[in-house]
Amino acid sequence: MASISIRNLVKRYGNFTVIPDLNLEIADHEFVVFVGPSGCGKSTLLRIIAGLEPISSGELYIGDKRVNGVQAAHRDIAMVFQNYALYPHMKVYDNMSFALELRGVSKAEIDARVKRAAALLHIEPYLDRKPKELSGGQRQRVAMGRAIVRNPKAFLFDEPLSNLDAKLRGQVRAEIKALSQELKTTMVFVTHDQIEAMTMADRIVVLQSGTIQQYDTPETVYERPANQFVAGFIGSPAMNFFPVAWRQERAILSQGGMVVPLEGESAGRLRLAGDAVLGIRPEHFAVTTEAADGIAVNVKLVEPLGSDTLIHFDLAGVSAIARVDPSLRPKVGDRISLRPQPGKTHLFDASNGQVLR
Amino acid sequence: MSDAAATLAQDRQKLEMSALSAPAVIFTVAMIAFPVVYTVWLGFQNFSSTGKQSFAGLANYSKLVSDYEFWHGLWVTIALYVLSLVLQLVFGVWLALVLFHAKRLPGIVRSLFISPFMMPPVVAGMMWLVILDPSLGAANYVLQTFGLPPSDWLASPTWVIPTVALIDSWQWTPYVALIVLGGLQSLPPSVYEAAQIDGASPFKTFQRITLPLLLPTIVTAAILRSVDLLRFFDIIYITTQGGPGNASNTLNIYGFRVGFEFFNIGYASALMLTLTAIVFGAVLAFNRLRGAVAW
Repeated sequence: MASISIRNLVKRYGNFTVIPDLNLEIADHEFVVFVGPSGCGKSTLLRIIAGLEPISSGELYIGDKRVNGVQAAHRDIAMVFQNYALYPHMKVYDNMSFALELRGVSKAEIDARVKRAAALLHIEPYLDRKPKELSGGQRQRVAMGRAIVRNPKAFLFDEPLSNLDAKLRGQVRAEIKALSQELKTTMVFVTHDQIEAMTMADRIVVLQSGTIQQYDTPETVYERPANQFVAGFIGSPAMNFFPVAWRQERAILSQGGMVVPLEGESAGRLRLAGDAVLGIRPEHFAVTTEAADGIAVNVKLVEPLGSDTLIHFDLAGVSAIARVDPSLRPKVGDRISLRPQPGKTHLFDASNGQVLR
Repeated sequence: MSDAAATLAQDRQKLEMSALSAPAVIFTVAMIAFPVVYTVWLGFQNFSSTGKQSFAGLANYSKLVSDYEFWHGLWVTIALYVLSLVLQLVFGVWLALVLFHAKRLPGIVRSLFISPFMMPPVVAGMMWLVILDPSLGAANYVLQTFGLPPSDWLASPTWVIPTVALIDSWQWTPYVALIVLGGLQSLPPSVYEAAQIDGASPFKTFQRITLPLLLPTIVTAAILRSVDLLRFFDIIYITTQGGPGNASNTLNIYGFRVGFEFFNIGYASALMLTLTAIVFGAVLAFNRLRGAVAW
């Protein structure tokens, strides 16, 4: 059993509370990603699970064992650090074997485990090298190898891809995902990159100010965000938000009074709420030729990405983006008509940001 | 700009650079190169008691081989060097670890710990002369308080080298500690967290992580101390003047006597150049070691 259970966890540094009261259940063999902006407490939470930070109050279980106060070494977890934290004076082989050696594992067993992990990560040619002789990606693999050889109950990753370039990041991301499927071990991964969170996680924990905003599958977090923070954080480019109101049986933008074509359930929810914040993802705008069907906007900037085109525009005092088909190449200053795709709009309570359902 | 004009501008710039750096070059040559070259020249000269000078060739250097005082001085120099260096490195690392982990220690206490090396060696020597005085000194008083027999300290041919080594270590261990403390503070904290997760005990962490990571810093401290220790002079000159007998007569003290008491400048120069070569040898050896332990 390598489930992780966090109950009423509080973390304070002096008078400053980083995590006010957190409850979280991570199932055995699950790949969970903690995501959130800088300072949201995600790394602190991971370090608490690792045993590198003490708990102010609450309970932490790894498997069936309550591990409050249990030293990091005795939690049977392995951690991959953001800066790899390899022992710079040791060769790759020694970096990977050090923990096993300390545990008194036999030399033959150590050798077998190190070579198995090295083969899995394709780092056999580098076993005799020191970390300074490796590239960033190779060091990252060694750090993972050091974790793998221990056969831990859970792997903890603290933003391990942030020091890699974009191409390598994508490659290592896929490798970690494949590794998690092969090793079938509980994995907790911290990142501020929502693409990493979406592509790797079984479930995502979205954190803000030490509080869980939503804990669900990537699809649910994307399609049905629990609040405006989650909606804005997950998705790239970020969701557009426009203050809207229900007036004379129509949805209108609060600033400018332009009519917004809202249909079905969304219209019903806005009718009940009166005022709300309308959220539309850039990819959920459609360009329409019928001006009456959509919202007329002036193109401010065009970013052709190859796979699609981003159109920047101002609407109701808000800077917004639409992601459209790459064949559409409007020019700056052109007037186009955009229409939110039916069923793809989100309404949030204007006072507390919670989704209106 | 034409090629000719560009070349002219470059030449002018070179001339200006040479003119601006000339004072520094002249100063360096005058202060370092000239005395060295002059000493080398002196090493090949013979000065008679009447002050007459003649070319001696390698006679001063061949005299070294058969000079008992030279070999004795070399032995004293090396014994003092090895003993002092080991004491200073071991206790320097220990003191650095204490200061590094005692984060709550007030700044003034930290400063007191490292203050001895700021004291002029003459003052340190005088202070220890008083402390180690066989009849009135505090050192023997402490020994006798614990029921131990008094020691002659600096007056004993057996104890004089360890005693001088202790005095020098008292003064210079904090200097080594300061260098090692700098090295400790620059070690990456995440490596220690990785060791914690790997299950390393405090002793294993020191043995397998801290010490190997500190080795380049320790070797740097050893180089700096080697240069001073092999030229051991001031503390000995104040406390024993090479005695009792010639028990603490280092090469430097011997060379000083030959040159400025017996006025045999040629032979003294040969002695000092030999000592310089030994210092260079030690520095080069440690430099190679630093390369080997770099990470």
